[in-house]
Amino acid sequence: MKPLRIALTKGRLEKDTVALFEKIGFDCDAVKNKGRKLILPIGDNQFEVVLAKAADVITYVEHGVCDLGVVGKDTIMEQGSSFYEILDLGFGKCKFALAGEKGKDFFSGYSTKTIATKYPNIARSYFESKAMDVKIIKIEGSVELAPLLGLSDAIVDIVETGSTLNENGLEVIETICDISARLIVNAASLKLRKAEIEKLVELMEREART
Amino acid sequence: MKKYNKITPEGTSDLLFEECLVRRYVEKTLASAFSSRGFNEVVTPGLEFYDVFDPDFSGIGQEVMYKMTDKRGRLIVMRPDSTMPIARLTATRLQSLPKPIRLFYTQPIYRNNPDLIGRSDETVQTGIELLGAGGIRADLEVIVTAIEALGQCVPNFRLELGHAGFFRALAEQLPVSDDLREDIRRAIESKNYAALNAILDQLGNSKQVMAIRRLPRLFGGEEVFDQAAPLCNDEKSTQTLAYLHELYRSLAELGLGDKIIVDLGLVQRNDYYTNIVFSAYVEECGDAVLLGGRYDKLLGCFDSPMPAIGFAINVDAIAKIILERGETFAILPVDILVHGETGFEIKALNYASDLVKNGIKCENSVFETRTEALNYAKVRGIGRIDIIGDTVEIINLT
Repeated sequence: MKPLRIALTKGRLEKDTVALFEKIGFDCDAVKNKGRKLILPIGDNQFEVVLAKAADVITYVEHGVCDLGVVGKDTIMEQGSSFYEILDLGFGKCKFALAGEKGKDFFSGYSTKTIATKYPNIARSYFESKAMDVKIIKIEGSVELAPLLGLSDAIVDIVETGSTLNENGLEVIETICDISARLIVNAASLKLRKAEIEKLVELMEREART
Repeated sequence: MKKYNKITPEGTSDLLFEECLVRRYVEKTLASAFSSRGFNEVVTPGLEFYDVFDPDFSGIGQEVMYKMTDKRGRLIVMRPDSTMPIARLTATRLQSLPKPIRLFYTQPIYRNNPDLIGRSDETVQTGIELLGAGGIRADLEVIVTAIEALGQCVPNFRLELGHAGFFRALAEQLPVSDDLREDIRRAIESKNYAALNAILDQLGNSKQVMAIRRLPRLFGGEEVFDQAAPLCNDEKSTQTLAYLHELYRSLAELGLGDKIIVDLGLVQRNDYYTNIVFSAYVEECGDAVLLGGRYDKLLGCFDSPMPAIGFAINVDAIAKIILERGETFAILPVDILVHGETGFEIKALNYASDLVKNGIKCENSVFETRTEALNYAKVRGIGRIDIIGDTVEIINLT
């Protein structure tokens, strides 16, 4: 039988997932001493780990070249696609928020507001749900700069502790939603390899809760 | 100005040689499976009025339709689906035909997918529609035809079977708003247990809530029916489950049990299906290669209500799988190159025609000299060249 292939988001989610796998009792040495290899066996060769950027995890799972993936809810919301999102792993917690200059009433006035963000799709659907017309500008780096430089009225971004906002004279105007790491599964894989996947999901769910 | 005259638009592609052979093979195999079961072919226009695919009943978002206007400024689209046009033509032009009506089609559909995700905007589908017949006999007929047809192209697939009415029956009893019910439906559809539980945690622990909570996990073999039975506490859901079980048993009796997966979490998708729904999966493909179901309300949208059921197979996906499996669809050179010496062109043409009539594949040389013709035959791997002059000289090259 082919090993189940799991795509992990490189970086913190990868470390948290590997820690979870070790708690379950899978041998993860290959991933911890990976060198430059990108496809690595774990456990008794029942699984293969693929390391990828967050957005690519979704792409690989959606096309079925990886059976499962671990990726943040932020990327799922921004990329929005068709797969099963079967488990909230509980780590990688943060939130999406609308933030602007301290003490300023963002919603006042009738002029069209300008929003800077790394997540244009999330920003767009958030303001669509409020029936608000806004101008969205995509920024790649530190989004907090945009309102400080006068480019935008507010930002839509990931907030963990809020200290970066605070140090730059910004504050959360409204929380959009909570974020955490999710386990996603390709639809065809779940149907064709139900028993194996359910067993893994059960193990991960049990360990993620403790 | 930049010219785009050497590339094709994203989401489209040329098909070459063996790709064409495989595609035609799949089309022919499926078409003959359908026609030998009494389905007759129809072709609908590539362009249709937007209203035929009204998102309210088609479930096809307006953003995925390729749109333009006709000569009078009315909105038209490139066909994004074949079932809706067939419902339209059945409701209008086929009104007087005795029911049931059995139709099949093989034609491309067009969808404006988001860019850079590797999806095709032009996909050839073939499928059947059985119109004017409800009940288990019609459902069985269509599912068995699906299994039989698909099996002739890709033997190792699994067919997933569900019922859009099961979730509907359970959800109706929840004391929630329509919006929240839609959120629940969406969470079950994407098997998003986290989102589903977050919603249900606020609704207490009634028997109905417990049932909905279990729903996305209720898939597998016949054991699913036993797991689901205690969750049904009203007539509608009990009946729906019993119906699905009966269907499953009939398919098992036909020896198809090992091909079927039951999934009660197959909730009413965002489309026109109202009762049983089914889809087929193959290991090499991350998407379903066949999608189908019963759509008893759709014909009513065209003012000719009648029960109907059908499915569509993704021909491109099947052809790609067959090619990747390495089944041989090699392009072979012709058997003979016929070359007429100067002054014997007509004799050569007649000679080539005679060969073709006898079932031999041949090319007629368009070169001036025999040297050029010989070189061409060698490059192309043609095994024999017949030089036509006063006499016929046969040169074997292999």
